[in-house]
Amino acid sequence: MSEPTMSLPLRIATVADDADQAVLERIATGELHALDELYERYKTMAYSIAYRITNDATLAEDVVQDAFLGAWRNAERYITGRGSVKTWLLSIVHHRAIDAVRRRRPTTELPEREEIPPAQLRVPDVWSQVSANLDAETVRAALAVLSDVQREAIELAYFGGLTQQEVAERTDTPLGTVKSRMRLGLLAMRRVLTQDEPARDDGTSMTGREAQTP
Amino acid sequence: MIQQGHLQPPPLTCDDVRELAAPFVLGALDTAEDDAVRAHLATCSDAHAEIAELAGVLPVLDGSAPQMEPPASLKVRLMAAAAADLASRTPVAASRAATTAPLVFPTASQREARAAARGRPAMGSWAVRVAAVLAIALLGGWNLLLQGQLTEARTYEQNVAAVLDIAGRPGSLTAVLTAEGGDGPSGLAAVGDDGAVTLAMRALAPTSGAQVYEAWVIGGDGTPVPLGGFQVGPTGTAFFEGGGLPADAGIVLALTLEPGPGATSPTLPIVSLGTASAAG
Repeated sequence: MSEPTMSLPLRIATVADDADQAVLERIATGELHALDELYERYKTMAYSIAYRITNDATLAEDVVQDAFLGAWRNAERYITGRGSVKTWLLSIVHHRAIDAVRRRRPTTELPEREEIPPAQLRVPDVWSQVSANLDAETVRAALAVLSDVQREAIELAYFGGLTQQEVAERTDTPLGTVKSRMRLGLLAMRRVLTQDEPARDDGTSMTGREAQTP
Repeated sequence: MIQQGHLQPPPLTCDDVRELAAPFVLGALDTAEDDAVRAHLATCSDAHAEIAELAGVLPVLDGSAPQMEPPASLKVRLMAAAAADLASRTPVAASRAATTAPLVFPTASQREARAAARGRPAMGSWAVRVAAVLAIALLGGWNLLLQGQLTEARTYEQNVAAVLDIAGRPGSLTAVLTAEGGDGPSGLAAVGDDGAVTLAMRALAPTSGAQVYEAWVIGGDGTPVPLGGFQVGPTGTAFFEGGGLPADAGIVLALTLEPGPGATSPTLPIVSLGTASAAG
């Protein structure tokens, strides 16, 4: 794929990555046992994300089932891309859960999503190493660098299913500021993960520095 | 939101996409914007590395969700749906699946051939029905095999094959029986247009003494009518044949455990339950 642009150590293949890839290849041939394996490996993460977003056990179950079925049906097309299987699977869970909560709101119309992400969204393998090693402490540390307004914008979007415009309306904030909060918040967290820069962003940077009209 | 008017917005530039990268990876774009970003990425020669960089942080957010365990019944549903999907693929894929699945059932093409021999015209709806039925059959046998219960798996396979035979006839109905909550006794029933019913069940608790499982049909008036009883041995599988049913879609088939044969009203709880429908 593309050259690593981040100052991360080059990927050392983790056991989990290769095992996932092997399982996906078996899924692509229509092997039910392989789907069983993938499900056992990621059911807790998938269900946790789905429940966090939908806050509804029945809906969360439907989301997880749909997501694994999506992976089941699209495995053959995805394996050629060589992205992280886990990232792909959890992104399907996230998308479906967001779709589910948006469907509960009257204003949105939702087409079926394409399951195969654009190449640029296939998170490079270096990142799967980072995320595979994510422990509770790292999660806490990364979240701790967010300012309150950054966390609010990010969580309303990622877990609340709000669009950026809806976040802007809900928080009574200009759209450009919302975008900046999201971007700077994500970048600040990324610095914690890569640990190649001071963990703490300067606390004032979220204030609409690059606010633009939409 | 109020984007209804312009269905064809101008294509995004690379700068537009960079600006939208954070809301894009967070899933915070509306459908039109999201489509526009994807359309740009699909054709853009720029790697747009910023998107992967930002998306790489998402595991932190995922990891911040409180840990929750899904119920065991979700796996049963998922595997049934996947098996149904497998069975509904092309005949080539279905026969390939049949060779990788632990238990080999008639492939879709084989069953289509049998149906054709019987002169059934509606092949399309028949294929759908076969997919559903085959899925249940695969799942049942597959679960048993996972548990190392070979004998039980074979018995169940034979029972299901007998049910499939009726299910494949024109005008027949099928019902998938499941226990409340998803885990527990489950099976497959077929009701022929002559009112004959066949039922294959698995994961039943063995009967003891005079105990019988009684099959009931509940029609439009809501009154359970007994169809007959059967006993179950240590394998937990059972095959039952009866007759005299109304071949109406919507009738409910139910199973109860009775202290002895000849029950005239069901002893609760219902062990397993399903609604008959024309799957095609």
